[in-house]
Amino acid sequence: MTLLWMGEHDRLDRELVGGKAHSLNLMRLLGLPVPPAFVLTTEVCARFYAAGGELDAEVVAEVRDAVRTLETKAGRRFGDTEAPLLVSVRSGAARSMPGMMDTVLNLGVNARVERALADLTGDGAYAADTHRRFREQFERVVGTPAPDDPWEQLTAAIAAVFRSWTSSRAVAYRRHHGIPDDGGTSVTVQAMVFGNLDDDSGTGVLFSRNPLTGDPAPYGEWLPRGQGEDVVSGRHDPLGLDALAGRLPDVHAELLSAARRLEEVGKDVQDIEFTVESGRLWLLQSRSAKRSPDAAVRLAVALHEAGALTVDEALRTVAPEQVEAVCRPRVDPEAKARATLLARGEPACPGVGAGRVVLDVEEAEELAESGVDVVLARPTTDPDDVAGMVVSTAILTEIGGSTSHAAVVSRELGTPCVVGCGTGTLGALAGRQVTVDGMTGEVFEGILRLAPSSEADDPALATLGRWARERAGDAGGPLPEVFAAARRAIGQTPIAALSTP
Amino acid sequence: MSELVLLQAARLKGRLDAEAAAACAGMDPAAAQAGLDALVDAGDAKAVGGGVRITPQGRERLDALLAEERATVDQPALTGLYEEFDAFNGELKAIVTDWQMVDEQTPNAHTDRAYDQAVISRLADLHGRFAPLMARIAAAAPRLAPYPERFAAAIGKVREGDHAFVARPIADSYHTVWFELHEELIGLLGLSRAAEAAAGRAV
Repeated sequence: MTLLWMGEHDRLDRELVGGKAHSLNLMRLLGLPVPPAFVLTTEVCARFYAAGGELDAEVVAEVRDAVRTLETKAGRRFGDTEAPLLVSVRSGAARSMPGMMDTVLNLGVNARVERALADLTGDGAYAADTHRRFREQFERVVGTPAPDDPWEQLTAAIAAVFRSWTSSRAVAYRRHHGIPDDGGTSVTVQAMVFGNLDDDSGTGVLFSRNPLTGDPAPYGEWLPRGQGEDVVSGRHDPLGLDALAGRLPDVHAELLSAARRLEEVGKDVQDIEFTVESGRLWLLQSRSAKRSPDAAVRLAVALHEAGALTVDEALRTVAPEQVEAVCRPRVDPEAKARATLLARGEPACPGVGAGRVVLDVEEAEELAESGVDVVLARPTTDPDDVAGMVVSTAILTEIGGSTSHAAVVSRELGTPCVVGCGTGTLGALAGRQVTVDGMTGEVFEGILRLAPSSEADDPALATLGRWARERAGDAGGPLPEVFAAARRAIGQTPIAALSTP
Repeated sequence: MSELVLLQAARLKGRLDAEAAAACAGMDPAAAQAGLDALVDAGDAKAVGGGVRITPQGRERLDALLAEERATVDQPALTGLYEEFDAFNGELKAIVTDWQMVDEQTPNAHTDRAYDQAVISRLADLHGRFAPLMARIAAAAPRLAPYPERFAAAIGKVREGDHAFVARPIADSYHTVWFELHEELIGLLGLSRAAEAAAGRAV
């Protein structure tokens, strides 16, 4: 099992092909439009390392044959000057390691292909830009300048992606998250589609429901004439999905229907990357959407009410930490929008604290003893400052990061803390009433209203709480603890069919 | 030297009782209590809720005593030791941060025993490698002699399962002792914390 085609397998082992290929295979099985792709399994990765970091001749020959098949499927040819095929070469591990391993896009471009792309698109600047992006990415990932020959580019890129499994950052990430080192990465090779071909082309991201608010309406962004990472990178200002619906209503309808189907099968809110090439929709990726804690709670309840999830399945889409975050007091978003931002630093301990800014530890202790809420603001903290930190409702420093003394102590105390606000930024706040948001690192003028965070005023949280209590047995106490007990009672998360976390 | 030791402990602890004073000074609690009483009698400290707090006069006295002490310490030798300490400092802070946070957004709820145990192993490992340097620091600056015992006591508590002794403030946790030692080294070398913080070393 060295090389597998996406869409030709009823069931693929995630450990063998990685999360990305697993999801591409399922999307193709569902009959959704996905550009043709094949995957080199993690077994090839193991062989690569066993051979001392070399692709063996057999694998190289298999890849060559597979690209020939890819050409037939895509109706383009690799290195061709009439209808050139470009491919993406991506890593894929069984457990997601975002940003830790390497990817090469637009592979197959060289000076001649660039000219062909320019003719094809009528856009010389785009062709040059594609070539430049490829050269830069290739050199960064592979460590040598890109060769002219697309076949050499391909084998070098595949080897580099396998090598990135043992890059120091990937190793450090696995150590930190307790992921074993022996899994390896797969490599997916997929035909590229062009979102910048003409005015009926573009690229976008679609969430099957809103991941920030939990609103059930699909939510997304559309960038006409954009390609690949343009939307994700934030370098451009994308439009809303209604712009896509206006220009290409059929594509829009097809996209929403695919999103519903993927949500149904994946049993979770999906984050879908898509590209439209000359009015034709292509799906590039679908995975469980990352979401805010608020949205996680609302979506779990909404997905159950829509009949997509059983109660247990809904409970499994919410992490105990997310319930804890929702129950923690937070600044009311409307009050925040109207408030004056006085300082901003690095969030060190989440939570909200408000009170009078005090620069001196003894003064903080005296005021606190007389019942005044104080926010201790120091350039940086000494051991002497701990006595003042203990009595404060929030802590601010001018210098220091998330591992600084103030950060460590505040987290032990559970006191909201913002560090590194900048030298000389806090002195002027002395005596003023402020609200410190330790989640975002913001300091606002005045005492701001807090958002509802109890079951009494949040219906979705109340529903989740009821479910959790039914399953937690006799575990009592605050909701986060009950919820954690419920999660233990219903067991581990089975990996949802389509989720590529 | 006990006057200096106790004044410094009062300054670092904010509010110092006899038990904490005894641990910081490496003396028995009765002697520590007598020493604290003497500080209060001299006006260098005042009695507050079961302990003492340093007074402005006490701070002046402390600064004078620290300046005298600084003149007796081999500065180039201690500078070298501080540089060695700094190499451990980044590692300790990373360990403590991992103890508190499982990633940048998520506080450690201490529900994953394997994760916690892995962090504690790293701390115990650091302690083993750091102890020889600590002994050399104590040899170069004799007033710091109680530190090896304080570190050993903290790591001992952690090993027994009392996880408050990883980083809990006020308590003589590993991080508390570490941070006080750092403050001592800065003071003994006549450096300023603000400058050290700006250089990325003492924050």
